[in-house]
Amino acid sequence: MSLLSVQDLTIRFRTEEGLITAVEKVSFDIAEGEILGLVGESGSGKSVTAKSLMRLMGDNAVVDPASRITLHRQGGDLDVLGLRRERDMRPVRGGEISMVFQEPMASFAPAITVGAQMVEQLLIHTNLSRKAARTLSIDMLARVGISDPARRFDQYVFEFSGGMRQRAMIAMALSTKPRLLIADEPTTALDVTIQAQVLELMKELVAEFRMGILFITHDLGVIAQTADRVAVMYLGNLVETGTVRDVIRTPAHPYTKGLLQALPRIDDLDAPLVPVPGDIPGPLDRPEGCVFHTRCAVAISGQCNTQIPQDVTLSPGHAARCHALTKDTP
Amino acid sequence: MTTPLIRIKGLETHYPLGQRLFGPAPVLKALAGIDLDIPAGSFFGLVGESGSGKTTLGRAILKAAPITSGSVSYDDGQSAFDIGSMDARQERTYRSRAQLIFQDPYAALSPRMTVRDIIAEPLEVMGLTSSRAETDDRVREIAKKCRLNLEHLRRFPHAFSGGQRQRISIARALVSGPKFVVADESVAALDVSIQADILNLLKALQKDLSLTLLFISHDLSVVAHSCDTVAVMYLGRLVEVAPSRSLFARPRHPYTRALLSAIPTLDPDAPPKMQRLTGEIPSPADPPPGCRFHTRCPFAQARCRQEVPELAPTQDGGQVACHFWKDLPDA
Repeated sequence: MSLLSVQDLTIRFRTEEGLITAVEKVSFDIAEGEILGLVGESGSGKSVTAKSLMRLMGDNAVVDPASRITLHRQGGDLDVLGLRRERDMRPVRGGEISMVFQEPMASFAPAITVGAQMVEQLLIHTNLSRKAARTLSIDMLARVGISDPARRFDQYVFEFSGGMRQRAMIAMALSTKPRLLIADEPTTALDVTIQAQVLELMKELVAEFRMGILFITHDLGVIAQTADRVAVMYLGNLVETGTVRDVIRTPAHPYTKGLLQALPRIDDLDAPLVPVPGDIPGPLDRPEGCVFHTRCAVAISGQCNTQIPQDVTLSPGHAARCHALTKDTP
Repeated sequence: MTTPLIRIKGLETHYPLGQRLFGPAPVLKALAGIDLDIPAGSFFGLVGESGSGKTTLGRAILKAAPITSGSVSYDDGQSAFDIGSMDARQERTYRSRAQLIFQDPYAALSPRMTVRDIIAEPLEVMGLTSSRAETDDRVREIAKKCRLNLEHLRRFPHAFSGGQRQRISIARALVSGPKFVVADESVAALDVSIQADILNLLKALQKDLSLTLLFISHDLSVVAHSCDTVAVMYLGRLVEVAPSRSLFARPRHPYTRALLSAIPTLDPDAPPKMQRLTGEIPSPADPPPGCRFHTRCPFAQARCRQEVPELAPTQDGGQVACHFWKDLPDA
């Protein structure tokens, strides 16, 4: 069952230099118990997309009126962008939707114990007593593999190591039993050995709690090992979506192909590293037509630099937005 | 490839950890006895988790971290330096031979200087050129080698993307004509599509200028692709040194094996790897006795808790510091 639908999400930011498009006509769905990977380079708009699901875009954001974010639930669907009052969002943030950030050190308050912060959000989002909230928090810390959780509960975040902070962050995000977890580069700051532990943990938790995860990363290897489906983002556009197998085995969009060729592979040391040519254009000189045409090797002059490509369905659930794909199909 | 450019013997770097009223002050041994030769002309990889001491080792070679005991020497055939005991004049010459490329191209470049001034600064500080025209020539020459557009020299760094900035910091590091360059996590802050470009550039420059590169990284797949020899560090000690190919095909040390198995592969159907490491790297302020890896090692035995293993040669040209590497089951 679909948990969350995003339709035609377009977000622009007002800046001193003018209006900047961060996300353009992005649509995707996340089902219960599904991990959707959102891949893209810096500036591709993946974090803005994630934050918009909780309406945390910032004051200078302009959301296009055609955009829809719908949280499906039994008591009736919630139109996230249509909420009038900011306080209607409160039960959703940290309650139905939780978020794990890249830098756990910056996400915990330094002068309050980790336990106190975990209890505080439980008191806001659940009817638990303070004592029950404490018990649940300690249980959650143990659940994510933190040893001696009762002692750790009363410690401050600086007393935790990097991997432990990220685990505590996950424990905190999951303690309210959210239906959707947004994980924004949750393992990027971690060492590979700790990353492997955290990824394993997240997979276990999805299986156990049946929640959906939006997993944001720039690392395709991490996606291959964790996600069920993947969406590739470039300059605010979803250029390709599909199951992890389809996208990694048979990438269709030139950008996805380029990303895969640029990635050093441990199983083939002789494969040359092929960079995607050129640089990501600045936000103010957004290319006309297909946003990728300035770096694309197969760009068709007169078409790709003028017309915006439409999604082409390659197989059920696998689509890419590229003019070169429509050319071949009769 | 045979003569070492950098020779490190018994290197220890200690940092003081506050003071005690009685007894010796506690120290953090960031490097606890490193023996390593870096051959001239090699692309030498140094990998390890955070806290392993890889950055400290790179800096100690450049005399940017203290050398508490042991020795580091540099010998390129024309000039030789004993890094621990250089006088001010020698140190200045050494700075032109050994350089550092930083991790973050956004923090490493002054926003108030033009690209030309940023690249020229080392020449001016070291007094390597005698006229402005000569400085400009050297700047233009290295900028071209680093594939920078010469028109960009008049601009300020804010106008550039991450990849271009990293090319500027590479040009700045190479303008004095060094023989030895430490690249500390130089591609870690870059996007994959740009990272490949910088790696290819570093490889080309290394051949072109016959550089010796110490490439420090936490990303094993990047190291596997770029380096010809790789050293693996754990808690201030080397656990394995081997040619890249044999290291990645047949890792010997249990820690190297665990590191390799933790890399997420691109194959969604890859079977889960068995050698997951449990726990985290212990604090270097309080390292375990004996083999420092024994607290996380699946093969640890009583001897590992008492006796420190030394690097011993293997049959495929590498060295490994493990008491039982010959007895381990195949990875």
